[in-house]
Amino acid sequence: MNLSQKLQRAQADTRRQFFAQAGLGLGAIALSSLLNQESQAAKPNWQIPAKAKNIIYLHMAGSPSQLELFDHKPTLSRLHNTECPKEYLEGKRFAFIRGVPKMLGSQAQFKQHGESGQWVSNHLPNLSKVIDDLCVIRTVHTEQFNHSPAQLFMHTGNSLLGYPAMGSWVTYGLGSENENLPGFVVLSSGGKTPSAGKSLWGSGFLPTVYQGVQCRTDGGDPILFLSNPDGMSRAGRRKTIDAIADLNRYQHQHIGDPETLTRIAQYELSFRMQMFVPEVMDIGKESKETLELYGAQPGYVSEAESAADPRRLYKGNDPTFANNCLLARRLVENGVRFVQLYDWGWDHHGSSPGESIDETLPIKCQQTERAIAGLITDLKQRGLFDETLIVWGGEFGRTPMMQNNVNKDLKKGFVGRDHHPHAFTMWMAGGGIRGGAYGQTDDIGYYIAENPVSVRDLQATILHQIGIDPHKFSFPYQGLQQRLIGPTEEGRVLKEILA
Amino acid sequence: MIALTMLALTGWLGVVAQGEEKISFNQHVRPILAKHCFACHGFDEQAREGDLQLDDRAAAIDAGAIMPGAPEQSELIARVVTDDADSIMPPADSGDALTTQEIEILRRWIREGAGYQQHWAFQPSRRPSTSQAGANQSPHAIDWFVNERLKAAGLTANEPADRITQLRRVSLDLTGLPPTGKQIQAYLADDSEKSYERLVDELLASDAYGEHWARPWLDLARYADTKGYEKDRPRIIWRYRDWVIDALNQDMPFDQFTIEQLAGDLLADSTPDQILATAFHRNTMENDEGGTDDEEFRVAAVKDRVDTTIQVWMGLTMGCAKCHSHKYDPISQQDYYRLYAFFNQTEDADRQQPIVPTPTKQQQQQQQSLETELQTLQAELQRLPEGYTEAWQSWKKQFDDQPLWVALKGPQLESEQQLTLEQDAEGVLHVQQELPEKDTWSLTLALPADQEVTALRLETLPKPKSTKWQDPNVVINELQAELITPDGQSQRLKLVRPRADFSQRNWEVPKAIDGDPKTGWAFSPNAAKPHAAIFDFETAIKPTAGSQLRLKIVQQYGIGLVLRDFKVSVSSYASDWLLAEIHPQANLQRLFQRTVYEPTIKLHQRIESTRKQITALNQSIPKTPIMRELPETRRRETKIHVRGNFLDRGDVVSGAIPSAFGTLPAEAPQNRLGVAQWLVSPKNPLTARVAVNRVWAQLFGIGLVETEEDFGTQGTLPSHPKLLDWLAVEFRDNGWSQKQLLKTIVLSDTYRQSAVTSAAKIAADPRNRLYSRSPRFRLSAEEVRDQALAVSGLLTERLGGPSVMPPQPDGVWKSTYSGEQWRNATDDNRYRRGLYTYKKRTSPYPAMLTFDAGSGEVCQIRRIRTNTPLQALVTLNDTVYLEAAGALAKHMQAAGETPREQIAHGFSRVLIRPAQAIELDRLLMVYEQFADLYKDQPEQAKRFLMSAGLEDGDPRLVAVANVLLNLDETLTKP
Repeated sequence: MNLSQKLQRAQADTRRQFFAQAGLGLGAIALSSLLNQESQAAKPNWQIPAKAKNIIYLHMAGSPSQLELFDHKPTLSRLHNTECPKEYLEGKRFAFIRGVPKMLGSQAQFKQHGESGQWVSNHLPNLSKVIDDLCVIRTVHTEQFNHSPAQLFMHTGNSLLGYPAMGSWVTYGLGSENENLPGFVVLSSGGKTPSAGKSLWGSGFLPTVYQGVQCRTDGGDPILFLSNPDGMSRAGRRKTIDAIADLNRYQHQHIGDPETLTRIAQYELSFRMQMFVPEVMDIGKESKETLELYGAQPGYVSEAESAADPRRLYKGNDPTFANNCLLARRLVENGVRFVQLYDWGWDHHGSSPGESIDETLPIKCQQTERAIAGLITDLKQRGLFDETLIVWGGEFGRTPMMQNNVNKDLKKGFVGRDHHPHAFTMWMAGGGIRGGAYGQTDDIGYYIAENPVSVRDLQATILHQIGIDPHKFSFPYQGLQQRLIGPTEEGRVLKEILA
Repeated sequence: MIALTMLALTGWLGVVAQGEEKISFNQHVRPILAKHCFACHGFDEQAREGDLQLDDRAAAIDAGAIMPGAPEQSELIARVVTDDADSIMPPADSGDALTTQEIEILRRWIREGAGYQQHWAFQPSRRPSTSQAGANQSPHAIDWFVNERLKAAGLTANEPADRITQLRRVSLDLTGLPPTGKQIQAYLADDSEKSYERLVDELLASDAYGEHWARPWLDLARYADTKGYEKDRPRIIWRYRDWVIDALNQDMPFDQFTIEQLAGDLLADSTPDQILATAFHRNTMENDEGGTDDEEFRVAAVKDRVDTTIQVWMGLTMGCAKCHSHKYDPISQQDYYRLYAFFNQTEDADRQQPIVPTPTKQQQQQQQSLETELQTLQAELQRLPEGYTEAWQSWKKQFDDQPLWVALKGPQLESEQQLTLEQDAEGVLHVQQELPEKDTWSLTLALPADQEVTALRLETLPKPKSTKWQDPNVVINELQAELITPDGQSQRLKLVRPRADFSQRNWEVPKAIDGDPKTGWAFSPNAAKPHAAIFDFETAIKPTAGSQLRLKIVQQYGIGLVLRDFKVSVSSYASDWLLAEIHPQANLQRLFQRTVYEPTIKLHQRIESTRKQITALNQSIPKTPIMRELPETRRRETKIHVRGNFLDRGDVVSGAIPSAFGTLPAEAPQNRLGVAQWLVSPKNPLTARVAVNRVWAQLFGIGLVETEEDFGTQGTLPSHPKLLDWLAVEFRDNGWSQKQLLKTIVLSDTYRQSAVTSAAKIAADPRNRLYSRSPRFRLSAEEVRDQALAVSGLLTERLGGPSVMPPQPDGVWKSTYSGEQWRNATDDNRYRRGLYTYKKRTSPYPAMLTFDAGSGEVCQIRRIRTNTPLQALVTLNDTVYLEAAGALAKHMQAAGETPREQIAHGFSRVLIRPAQAIELDRLLMVYEQFADLYKDQPEQAKRFLMSAGLEDGDPRLVAVANVLLNLDETLTKP
């Protein structure tokens, strides 16, 4: 026996003695029983059969133009460069348009694709190939026309700050399937967090344990404070956590507070997360074919991620979003309930460089559409598509008129559209949603012609698919049974688009 | 929470249903009606179904729902017991149904006459009788009320906690910090009963008290250092935070504390501090996002003020009445907008304004002493030293013969644009033509003979309105001078020391002689006044008869910025007498005082320097947004917002308090001040209850009313109604003193008992709502941080000041369009209390967010405590906790010879109590494990030390310190 072995033997003795003296048995406490937060004695009245187990929500922060992607409007193209009729302007509030703007025909070419014959633009060549899987809803409308309130409304059901995110609601209701990972994970790309900031994945009045955990892919800790400090090995961390646990057990022996046992369990879980999270987050483990499918590149850190104005650095082949899509698949595969992706840089006003419909939008599409098509294909290949609900969209749409507050006329690299809350496109796929188009806008894409879909309808449908009755699911706060879909009954599950 | 309500309820219901207690409407019946019926048959007339109102006795009887004394003839009973799926209530599809117990209660209630009571919290609080309860040992009324319920439940309170536990507990509760070494020594040295009370007094008198108790108030005030929403720009409002700390430390009575924050600006002769207090309601968010409608977000802010006011002071939720009348509490939509009308009259409009300078105490003192100094100096100057007049008279004489400046005559102009000049008797030169767009001149003037000439002065007069050029400015791109001798030789004169009475930004006068024709001297936006520029000749010239001065004046800016009326003068005096002023001759006395006459020169220098200090001080004074009432003529008309939509206006309403609480007295001010006075008047049944409940919740983890935010009919009932009322009345009767209230509570046996619990106690009362043991719960986010800094000796104890940026991981701040950056403090601000950490609403400090601190977006009544693995990661790995471990290890190392001694020292630094042998053994074991780990890895050990902010030291002790700072006992109030 060498010295080190002797020492270990002596330490084992010390620990045995500690337990004997403290009156504790080794392994006396089954940690798993302490952690079982999901077990509920009775089925809550809001629980319904689930179509989907997980959600991947792809939010294009800034709001992409539906008129260059999914909503084909030949009439608008014919009216191109004519003055916008008065009836569309009177009594309307715009963020930036002033006076009488000109109509702006689509800056993209549309073709019909797939068996469903949906019109899709040339900016989405890969997505066109899986278009039959998408339920493209062209008639979403919202109540807000500024980014921050509109994003909050979309994700928390309230345009003011301080309400729980959809992901918080879902994990509050259903918990996580993997106790080594948070149930609600947020990934971001595009160089900035969205306008409304971290409030978009805050837990509001729900306990903070349900807030989204932002996993970072820009080189730092994937989860804040996850790494041990420099010089502290995993073996060393094991020793400290054991010591903490032993002393805490001793404390519990004397005081009898059950919360102490929970704390022991949470330290143990943190230790497992330290191992498990980096493993899940490592897309380097994926096959070449899979990486190719998404256009992902393990370890890539884009310079746009740390730039003051990332928009000027956007390149079509930047794989940051693709990496996040692939990560999203790995996360849902490992039981993460709600994966939220934010991609910033879709606010194409055309008033400054790097934010135009004609130049920036195609780049943003290159960065994202292959990865999204790849995600759908990959999920299908793995048999996960049916149990994963994918949602894509911005916080509102863009006007059929050009934005005219800076440039009165079309200028290359400065073609832009203003915010448009009255009709825009989002799509859902997988998770029990039927493919095909839904809803019709008018000839110029200004108003909804048939089948309007409110943000509340979307929220209700999403909750419904994950196995929650949106009308019954609530939390008491400020004297109300608060719900994601708000206090009124206007939100409805979109039964027509369910498979 | 739901589970508890049920438990408490079923406890009572069981008793009542068995007929052992008289039915109380508030305690037994209202909860049933509120839970199952009021949503459709309550106060909200728009949501009311079948025209049935059950919250009103007369209406319920009229509708036949209730027949007092005859439950079987009451439709209410019939509908809850029926088998008919179509008529059963609550409707079958609601998934809601009454239990048999609940139905039995309703039956008995109707049989006993169906008496209604006003909701308990809306009845005035009275000092409850303590005669019965007082029959036991404790001298503290609190204990009487607590023991009463304990006894009924068959439980007993614990023995007092040991003295050290009491010490650590009360210190954390009153100051948010562990006791200091001195406090520990003094307390342990005297084991009389008095020593605890003395300790309490000392803790309440410390600055740390205000810092600790400011935190929950700032949560209510939604205090943050940024404005929120997309841009989330910084907002300087920390002076308000310091106001709260000061007010608490001075134990400002809660009624005054209320009035100053809600309406300090409306008090007669309000002081600057009272105005500062009104920043309470300027903590609302502002939206700077491009393209937003200011009115929309002004309205949102005003609504937030109404909601917050009612939440904070009355524990009621008015939020839902924005859109419709409250379903459960008697607050109509009209009530909402009538209260809103009072708050709708301030100047602010989603912009920073109005803001006012809010000097700190120190700055106020500095201001005062500088002003006094300035006045003293000026008075001294007024008095003038002896002999001054004679000296001045004699000095002045020289200018009778030789004026300071002599205007040059005989102009000859060569102009590229063929302009010509005329000179008037004053020596002013006038261009005779309409000014060209630009021009370059060669202007020759006669020099006076036989005098040394030292400097040149160019004076411009305001231009008359031109029909052709709008801008009255002038740009002198270049100015060059030549001496023309009588024989026609020219000699370039170098111009130096350019100075002017005024220069336009980026067009300073040196640019007129810098050789660059693109730059120059100009004086917008002050072109409507005369201006003068002075240039010294590098070497004085000695003209003789016939000598001339030739000036090349380049004026190539365009748009007519060319000289029109101007004067060129020279001087024979020394440069330091030649000041750039418009009326030099008139200012001779000033010149004399400032540059010639020694005694006054000194005075002027001191005045000047004092003025500079005042200016610098004023610039450093923080400006804080405050509330200011609109003038009479600009008052807003308030209309109801239909369905809460601010664009959809309904009826006009005038200011009033919610009608269920009466009206403001006629003599009261009909504005915010009236509202504030009413909140703290004896007429208001809620304010004192809500305030004491909040204090109780801070100490005991859960309020006597668990729903601190809701004292309405949907909130939970108080666990100890008499205790709540007793505390409320005590609080008011003791002059609304929070310190007195705290002292009363922490001296009780209930507070001082031990936290030890048993399986039996947990089974009987899992959430300890009856206080059979001291509540034991995790410290707040700020306390966790502050304690680690305090026990490791790192804590910077400095009261107040701008918010600080302790280390946070890189890249956490990445918000849109904001140039702000988080810069990790490297000075002692790195170790300030958590209260002072910069709070950005859209990206709060991650370590504290993980420990349930809010983001300051909206009024946060209570923080819901969680226990998560992410918290473990923070205290194990975050820089601040590693540096604390490092500093702690240093103290440990210095405190003993052997590892055992060192560890024992560390243990008692953190937990105050001495370690037991078995605990020391276990810690020594981890010490040895690290000895083993680092034995062959000196590099690894070195890096670990560096992670803990140490150059040298014992890495094994750092590891032990890391363990100590993560113990459950450390993180928990004992």
